[in-house]
Amino acid sequence: MLNLTRNLELSFRKIDKPLYKAYCNASQGKHDEFKALNIRNVKDHSHSKRSVKKTQVLPPRTNQMAVDQDWGSVWPGPRSFHPATVPLPIRQGYTEKGAPPPDKYANAELMKIPNFLHLTPPVIKRQCEALKQFCTPWPKALDTMEKINKHFPIEVTSSDYCYSGPSIRDPMARIVTLRFNLKSLNLDDRAKDKFLRLVGDRYNKETDLVTIVADRCPLRKQNMDYVMYLLTALYHESKKIEPWEELKSQADMEYYDWTKHASKTNVEDIFKCKFEEIPGIDKFSDAVSEYMNEGENEYTIKKYGEAVRTLLQLPFSKEITNKPL
Amino acid sequence: MLNVTAKLLLRSTFHKSIQIRLVAATAEAHHEQILQSFRTPVTNPTEHNSDHLARLYSIPKEDKTVLFQHGGLPKIFATHIKTFNETCLMVREPALDIINCLKTIDYNKPVVRFVLYGQKGTGKSLSLAHIIHYAYLNDYLIVHVPWVGNWMRRPKDNSNSETKQGFMDLNIDAAAWLLHFKTQNAKLLKNPDLKISREIHWTKRETTPKDSTLTELIEHGINRIRFASNCINILAEEIKLLSCAGLCKTLVAIDGFNAFFYPKTRVFADRREIVPPNRITLTEGFLNLTKFDWKNAAVVVTVDELVIAAEDQTSHLPRYLLGKTGFEHLDPFIPVEVTGFSKKEHQSIMDYFRERKWIQPYQGIDEELYFLSNGNPFYLLDLVKSY
Repeated sequence: MLNLTRNLELSFRKIDKPLYKAYCNASQGKHDEFKALNIRNVKDHSHSKRSVKKTQVLPPRTNQMAVDQDWGSVWPGPRSFHPATVPLPIRQGYTEKGAPPPDKYANAELMKIPNFLHLTPPVIKRQCEALKQFCTPWPKALDTMEKINKHFPIEVTSSDYCYSGPSIRDPMARIVTLRFNLKSLNLDDRAKDKFLRLVGDRYNKETDLVTIVADRCPLRKQNMDYVMYLLTALYHESKKIEPWEELKSQADMEYYDWTKHASKTNVEDIFKCKFEEIPGIDKFSDAVSEYMNEGENEYTIKKYGEAVRTLLQLPFSKEITNKPL
Repeated sequence: MLNVTAKLLLRSTFHKSIQIRLVAATAEAHHEQILQSFRTPVTNPTEHNSDHLARLYSIPKEDKTVLFQHGGLPKIFATHIKTFNETCLMVREPALDIINCLKTIDYNKPVVRFVLYGQKGTGKSLSLAHIIHYAYLNDYLIVHVPWVGNWMRRPKDNSNSETKQGFMDLNIDAAAWLLHFKTQNAKLLKNPDLKISREIHWTKRETTPKDSTLTELIEHGINRIRFASNCINILAEEIKLLSCAGLCKTLVAIDGFNAFFYPKTRVFADRREIVPPNRITLTEGFLNLTKFDWKNAAVVVTVDELVIAAEDQTSHLPRYLLGKTGFEHLDPFIPVEVTGFSKKEHQSIMDYFRERKWIQPYQGIDEELYFLSNGNPFYLLDLVKSY
């Protein structure tokens, strides 16, 4: 046992000195200086100051631009504003009263707003020229809007979207809008009424246009087929007369037809003749129809009253009075 | 010295007193002028024309007791009659318009119907009262219903009709109305020509023979309250026949006419079921009178929001209030709007209040009250309580 320990010690001494040192706790032959505690945090001057490296800024490109340069190649696409590329002394932004607005350099206001510097008139012209080779000429016979509407009553609208992203698909491209004049369907009164009830708020009374939008299918083609199906179905449904439609009564009428109401029979009974023979009946029937169709208001009541007075030959209220209000 | 000053003082007071007297005299004259501007001495509505517009005329006491003894004037107005010690009505355009029409109507043609309409409290009932006064003085037989709402909304009692299956009678109300009719037309009913055209069998034992007078028929209705409702319907028919025969000229004036077409009454049948107006016996008679199929008569009705339930008071216009059936019943009628006070009318009513010492005079009160009341006579009457 004693032998073994001596052997070990000997072999340790043979090991390389630095390695031994590294594993040894004791201080080595040369004694290190004892470090003083820096309580006051006095700066150590041993670290040298870091030198700031200045980036080299080139002078703005606008300085070198020729007056007759091709602007379309300088600014080819949509891009946010860059002061060194736009050779215009633009100013924008808010300042204190009296001071001029900030100039274009480092101007966030100018960068925020969208610009159309890529769509200057000569550029548009050039692009149109380039697209012309893909277009077919406009038919000469279709020179007026009436002719266009007559021969092509249906108008289909859809949108294409251009992307430089990872996917070139846009979900909005599937939407198809169909638009046509109701007049071009040549429906009779009954069918028109039914058509309007089926269409609901898709009909615009002022322009006589029906607009159907389809976006329920994933592809444009499917939506297009669906829209055309809807148009066909609507047309044929409104032409069809169902047995229950014969049950439509006075109360279901969408407008007041004077000749079918008690008002007409009342007047005929009073005058004891057909209503066509009564003087002043047109004014009366118009007034009653307006009263019922337009709803009750001061104007329609007044008109109704005047019509009745002319019908029954009574004096007007103005004839008794010249009251200053 | 003292003497002189005393004399001077006396002189000055003397001068002053003369001045005061003069001032008082001119003020009186001024007052007279105001009196003339808001009052009119013409108490006969027949003579009213556009010169009397916005002026007040007083109904003679004896006329008032005959016409409005059993109702016919709005409640608050009736209390003010007592306060002011006279019945003053303002000559206003709607009433004048209708009176003018009544003068020019060809009475050989079918009946003309007038409908007074307007916002609450603008004076529809009082315009009707003015027209009734005209009719009274021109010997019309007046069929006046003071307020249909009293029957449909506040019936005194009700019972099942004996003559018609499923109908309701309003016995006390009907008898009260017969009494009202009798008092209003006491003068005309003395005419022995007003006879009934057929024999009426009330029960097996009770009959009213042919050619008995209208008074007898009415008396029977009042005395035998069970038959009052039925009596009104028969009376309506008889009045139509008599008018067509030219024996009398009739004015039908119904206040709150739209109640006859408003389905939600407060008349209940045995099992608390609401009875619609067309199931009430009285309705038939008055609807019969407002038809156009007779002559020698005129019909003036008012349509009023107050006669229907509060939740349905959304519009004051005739088509809404009458409903489809009501409109078709009256069509063609002449709508006459009753509006609020104009500036001139407001001025004269304020002068009247001042003359009656109902309000204290102070500067700017007229403008203030016109603004506050928005020209509405009813609101004005309510507002002047505190001035």
